[in-house]
Amino acid sequence: MPEFTGKERVQKLFKREPLDTMPCFSGQGAVVVQAIEKMGARFAKIHTDARLMAESAITSARLFGMDAVVIPYDMAVVAEAMGRGVSLYDGVDGVIYPTVPNKWKTLDEIDIPADYMSQGRLPMVDEAFKIIKEEAPDLAVGAWVLGPFTMAGQIMELDILLKGLKKKKDETAAFLAQVTRITIDLVKHYQELDVDFISVRDMGSGTDLLSPRMWKTLVGPNLKEVFDAITRVPSVNHICGSTDMIIEMMHECGADALSVDQKNTVAQTREKLGNDVLIFGNFDPYATLCQMEDQAEVEAVIKTCIDNGIDSVWPGCDIWPEVKQENMKTYVKTVREYGKNPSPAVGRI
Amino acid sequence: MSTQEEILTKLREAVVEYEEDDCADAAQEALDSGVDPMLAVMDGLAAGMEEVGVLFDTNEYFVPEVLMCADALYKGLDILRPHISMDSDAPKASVVIGSIQGDVHDIGKNLVKMMFDVAGWDVHDLGRDVPLESFVEKQLDVDSDVLAMSAMMTTTMMGMKKVIAMVKEKNPECLIMLGGAPVTRDVANLFGADGYAESAGNAVSEGIKMIGRLREYQKGEIQ
Repeated sequence: MPEFTGKERVQKLFKREPLDTMPCFSGQGAVVVQAIEKMGARFAKIHTDARLMAESAITSARLFGMDAVVIPYDMAVVAEAMGRGVSLYDGVDGVIYPTVPNKWKTLDEIDIPADYMSQGRLPMVDEAFKIIKEEAPDLAVGAWVLGPFTMAGQIMELDILLKGLKKKKDETAAFLAQVTRITIDLVKHYQELDVDFISVRDMGSGTDLLSPRMWKTLVGPNLKEVFDAITRVPSVNHICGSTDMIIEMMHECGADALSVDQKNTVAQTREKLGNDVLIFGNFDPYATLCQMEDQAEVEAVIKTCIDNGIDSVWPGCDIWPEVKQENMKTYVKTVREYGKNPSPAVGRI
Repeated sequence: MSTQEEILTKLREAVVEYEEDDCADAAQEALDSGVDPMLAVMDGLAAGMEEVGVLFDTNEYFVPEVLMCADALYKGLDILRPHISMDSDAPKASVVIGSIQGDVHDIGKNLVKMMFDVAGWDVHDLGRDVPLESFVEKQLDVDSDVLAMSAMMTTTMMGMKKVIAMVKEKNPECLIMLGGAPVTRDVANLFGADGYAESAGNAVSEGIKMIGRLREYQKGEIQ
């Protein structure tokens, strides 16, 4: 019998209170096809219906014993609410996430509607949160938003944005400030929904794309403003891709925890930041959960994350829904068993 | 009047410093001075992009700078390309390229496309969020030597496997290149592809290295 419910375990983790074992959850998408099949639904349908979204999240968590649910699943929700449209790929078999078909092509075109919060699927997502909270009170509920830079790349063409950082510095900085205000509105809204944690995912801002200097001036300060606005629930600063060069600056943004992917050298990150900081990550979800054939390999990946100084083993990105059932079971089982020892920032009872 | 070497240096520097107007001016000067336009492309523009690749690999340049260098390169290429005499008897190599359905990212794809443009290939760019069938139809229609697909996200990568199977069944001679953040050598092998570039970053490095190889080939250093 577990000592705590998933919700309690996650809440205690963020407070850095002693736990029975390591929580197993994610701030990224964690819906799996086994849950969707069990419901008799299709992947393309779970993004537009509050009931299907809530049920698929809860069923995914329950099937494998995860501690939390996170919705929505796609990155197009806010851009759609701003009038940029959404491609749902309804007629396509298999797993394709919704995308934004009509991004703004220049800074001059950008015209964000004042009532975006009540547009598109945003109200439906609120309804899904309500259903989850009512029907799965034992699970932690996570909300997520894109960080300002990545959100900007969702509503306007990314190459124009990237070049604008160099060519039109002032205008681009003003646009990023505008998107930051929107991100703050969103995190405040999710706080009001009383979620258990908020993950801010600025996944497009790693040093695969931007220089550390650019990150320091154009990404970090905006992220700090967002985390300053999250006052009532714990927050996670997640960036995937290369983060070794910016990890200290990520920490300075003020989130309660940092989340990184497999490109981060976590053992070094732990040395740089010390044992008081909550660090989540950092396995490759596709390689580990979808491709590996040998359970010993999956187990080794999870154990390596823990050995390197992770406080909760998070996938580096969305869990690719077409996971192998056995690999998911091994992931959760290894976290529970190998995670019985204290992690650097959190003790055990 | 500048010498040939000075003009080539101007082209290289304009690409490296992402000065679009300077690149266009240097390209025009190359034409006006009688510099072989193919030489101007290869030892001017492409050589400049090779330097950009080094700056990228050493973390001096990042993607915003590389994109601007590419813009400068195209300014020069647009002026020089119409003047490159092609051997009308020789078949022109061709490529069908695009980002796979479900993927609206095209930075990596466009950088790889630049490599084919520099090489003077016939490039059939299908854009992004391209339905799987469209890749197959276009490849069979133009009988391209290469089919290049990119997927920025794991979630769109699986579509590549279907396209490869469809194309290889009907046209086994077509070389297939994959690129994008989630694509590893293992994935490329598993899907039956012939080559891969791992990420937008790697597309920059790999694409530029291919330009370097092309330059060596032009000079007869590779047989």
